[in-house]
Amino acid sequence: MTTEIQQANEEPFGFKPDSSLIVVGHGSTINPDSSRPTFAHADTIRQKGLFADVVCAFWKEEPSLREVLRMVETEEVYVVPHFISEGYFTQKVIPRELELTGPITRRDNKVIKYCEPVGNHPQMTDLILQRANRTAPSVAPEQTSLLIVGHGTGLNENSAVAVKTQVKKIRERQIYTEVGAAYMEEEPLISNWPSLTHYPSVVVVPFFISDGLHSYEDIPVLLGIHSESTGTASRAEIFRRNPYLLNGRTLYYASAIGTDPMMAEIILEMVHQFDQKHLASAVSD
Amino acid sequence: MIRDRLQRILAIGSLNLGEINARRITDISFIVRHRQDAEPREGPSLRIYTEPAAARDLARFDREGRFRPLKGAPTLLAGWELRLDSIDSLKLAIDYFYPGALASWFAREDRRINPVDLRTTLNRQTGMYRVTQKLTNAEADELAGRFCRSDGGCLRTILWTIAGKRPNGNLPETKFAISDDQLGKHDPAIPFLCLEACNLLVAEARETVKQRST
Repeated sequence: MTTEIQQANEEPFGFKPDSSLIVVGHGSTINPDSSRPTFAHADTIRQKGLFADVVCAFWKEEPSLREVLRMVETEEVYVVPHFISEGYFTQKVIPRELELTGPITRRDNKVIKYCEPVGNHPQMTDLILQRANRTAPSVAPEQTSLLIVGHGTGLNENSAVAVKTQVKKIRERQIYTEVGAAYMEEEPLISNWPSLTHYPSVVVVPFFISDGLHSYEDIPVLLGIHSESTGTASRAEIFRRNPYLLNGRTLYYASAIGTDPMMAEIILEMVHQFDQKHLASAVSD
Repeated sequence: MIRDRLQRILAIGSLNLGEINARRITDISFIVRHRQDAEPREGPSLRIYTEPAAARDLARFDREGRFRPLKGAPTLLAGWELRLDSIDSLKLAIDYFYPGALASWFAREDRRINPVDLRTTLNRQTGMYRVTQKLTNAEADELAGRFCRSDGGCLRTILWTIAGKRPNGNLPETKFAISDDQLGKHDPAIPFLCLEACNLLVAEARETVKQRST
């Protein structure tokens, strides 16, 4: 099966020495791991030396969205939300806090280019398939059910839509015989995975941007591969104990999709995509 | 450029900011330590790190291993030394310890800062934080006095106002003085400016309003 992500070699990402990149994450005041993947992807991009500055900003951590624009010193600034879906944060909170007026905002001697969130990129589908393949490399896809897990509540309405979109795209690839969506807090519930799936092997991929309580504890408890009494000492251990044998099935559990190192490439792709989309308007300016 | 201005500051001396001290060894060699380790002393040797990202890890947890989402909290772990081989690495490391501190300070020197009144901050909140618009000025004063105080709260120097007035919730005059290092040491230091109430304070404001409403 071909799940390796195509590096965008056909059209390599160009140097932008006169531009800066701000990668925006949600962050957390209680989960120290929430911002780690965003920082890690920014490190990867910074090491490529493509931009004058690469910085992160967060809604719940520092630097905040209110102060980050002072930290970048180029006129042109790209902002990429490290978010799994369009929604409240990408459409309302980030534009409001950065005082954006649209995809391109000109103010204070800056041209701020607001890219789409990483979750919108077509390669997210490849990333999920690659993650599934690496988590369960020896399973036969025709004998395997793949479950994509989202949060799924009213507040995260769009993340549920994003999960459904990915499920549809993966089904179209016809790699895994059975592909389904499941959620923590709405039907179909991930806790019902034994009845939602019908094949001997089950691969579960959390469609989250970072690992945290949901991926370390909540989903494992709902899957039955972890008990709340086990405590939180072993965190990432939950991903290393694959596979889990229960309910007569072999279950494989992946870490959150947003932690994948390839996400750095997708962040760059969002910038590239923005340039392509807005080339016409830039030329006409 | 921030890096050039940082280079110039270090050319004539070391830099104190919050709980850290940075100094130049050569043009391409810099050392950052906790201020309590800045001078040679007896005791266990310092743990040495050489990557700016180490600053991020050092700043993530406090002395008791608790997460530090508020980087201005006076709870930075001591006992380490960061050896960095470029001014860019130093700038990056300082931004991990005190995000945006250098940028805000230089912007203030250039008269390019506009502190934002708390009411403006609260009035633009939506979703779960919209309720903070109901925070009274008296509650805001009390909250700032409790949450932002330098001894145990946050080392930032407050420049924002509450309905046009300086917060007066038992905060000392020094909390608003850019010449003060907020640690009571009275050493020369670059202040960690607070130009607008942070999201953590807004979250606390939400708790205040919710508790009062129940």
